Amino acid sequence: MRTFAVLWRKEVDALFSSPIAYVLIAVFLIVMGYSFTLKLFITHSQSLVDLFFQMFVLILLTVPIITMRLVAEEKKLNTLEVLLTSPVTEPQIILAKFAASLALVAFMLGLSGVYAVVLALYGDPDWGPIFSGYLGLLLFAASLVGVGLLSSALTNNQIIAAVVSLSLFLLLWIIDEVAPLLPAPLDDVVLHLSLSGHFKPFATGSLYLSDVAFFLSSAFLTLFLAIRALSWR
Amino acid sequence: MSKVIVAENLVKWYGPRPALRDVSFSIEEGEIVGLLGPNGSGKSSIFRILTGYLTPTAGTVSVAGYDVFRESLALRRQVGYVHENAPLYDHMRVVESLRFMARIKGVERRRVENAVASVIERLKLHKVSDLLTTKLSRGYRQRVAIAQALLNDPKILVLDEPTSGLDPNQVVSIRDFILSLAGRHTVLIASHVLSEIEQIASRVMILLDGVLLTQDALRLHQATQELSIRVAGSERDVRAVVSQIAGVQAIDTFRDVGDVPRYIVKVAPRPKLTEELASTIVSKGFALSELSPVARGLEQIFLDLTSQARDVAA
Repeated sequence: MRTFAVLWRKEVDALFSSPIAYVLIAVFLIVMGYSFTLKLFITHSQSLVDLFFQMFVLILLTVPIITMRLVAEEKKLNTLEVLLTSPVTEPQIILAKFAASLALVAFMLGLSGVYAVVLALYGDPDWGPIFSGYLGLLLFAASLVGVGLLSSALTNNQIIAAVVSLSLFLLLWIIDEVAPLLPAPLDDVVLHLSLSGHFKPFATGSLYLSDVAFFLSSAFLTLFLAIRALSWR
Repeated sequence: MSKVIVAENLVKWYGPRPALRDVSFSIEEGEIVGLLGPNGSGKSSIFRILTGYLTPTAGTVSVAGYDVFRESLALRRQVGYVHENAPLYDHMRVVESLRFMARIKGVERRRVENAVASVIERLKLHKVSDLLTTKLSRGYRQRVAIAQALLNDPKILVLDEPTSGLDPNQVVSIRDFILSLAGRHTVLIASHVLSEIEQIASRVMILLDGVLLTQDALRLHQATQELSIRVAGSERDVRAVVSQIAGVQAIDTFRDVGDVPRYIVKVAPRPKLTEELASTIVSKGFALSELSPVARGLEQIFLDLTSQARDVAA
């Protein structure tokens, strides 16, 4: 546990020592702030539903940038060899990287919580969809970080890691569009792979076990595979 | 003295390519052993196996009594490894990097600062301890990497090409430091620079194309000796006289035009042999105008062994 904490701290320090984290946070806040303000003044609605869909897209675009260097860079600089010749296990390394990246996304989401606070100060928002929306975004981010981490563990080139995970996310984002064109039972399978399909209920305040399970299981599966990828050398 | 590293019949394949072929060796506690071989000969593969980073395709390795397959974590606590590129984390300052490594190497929390201060002292890192690792010169990077490996006072230190890319002064200081570790740690050091290894190691192993040619090249070095003699007179008679002397193994003749012939006499060293050789030649009435030992350095042994091995392979 202590080793995990030390590794986690190292990952967080690495994230925040590069300008990437600050740029991502800044862009996130600017885009969200603009949308929130515009939406509030035009519609005077007290919900964050539209904002959640925008955050969904922003997370989908930023996670590959956060995760691309996680393992690929350590391989390229040979620091991975230093870690793995120390008394440290592969699961500790992967889980620390996962937890640190997810913490950065959670931090960004936390900052956006200020919009909920504004709504609470000047109105009476329905808290159910707000909590479920944030829970959905967090679970969604966890599964994306898992995939990004896996693709980073499979290469020592950061750009390849980013391109692979981003393409996969974009594909799974819009995959439900093609579902009606496919014959049964393929259409059902494709529909179940859709990221937006699993996220929509969270944003609108409905919690389904299947959606929670989808994001959690893909996070577990990709973490497991990333650990295997690291052990396979 | 007990054996701290025992490797038996190590085989390592990278896909279809063999990197190590049936390599066996052992290392005693406190030894400084050099592993010599050209680039790509398998030195790093051996090191990666000894440090628990790679598992061999076949064979057994025990390091400090721990099996490389079953007790990898315990094994890694006993081994400090310095990678040839001296990799360090870009975002850390030297002292942060040392603290981080001390913690993941399992140094107790209250001992971390002591351990860090101690390696800073031993490797003279005071001047750079607050610098970002990216600001370090090659020599300092190497020293920080060595310092990291020593943080938990490991029994065994494995150094892969520790002086590559350093200037002569840095080479000397790293070499002296490694020599100062003798007795306190068992040191295994890889290099393709012969002169380097010769000055540091008490035993040299030679590796070529994944095959261990010798576990003790320095002893081979002492096992045969060559003497150069210049003797006037018929070659046949001289050869007859010299070959009578006990210990003489072979005689080669070199005849420079218009000069007294020169012979290279290969001998198994024994006391008084040189004197006996001289007195025998003189007593038989030959004019001996020169007698000197031929320096056969590690380099020659290395070249001999590698060319023999390549001949066998061809």
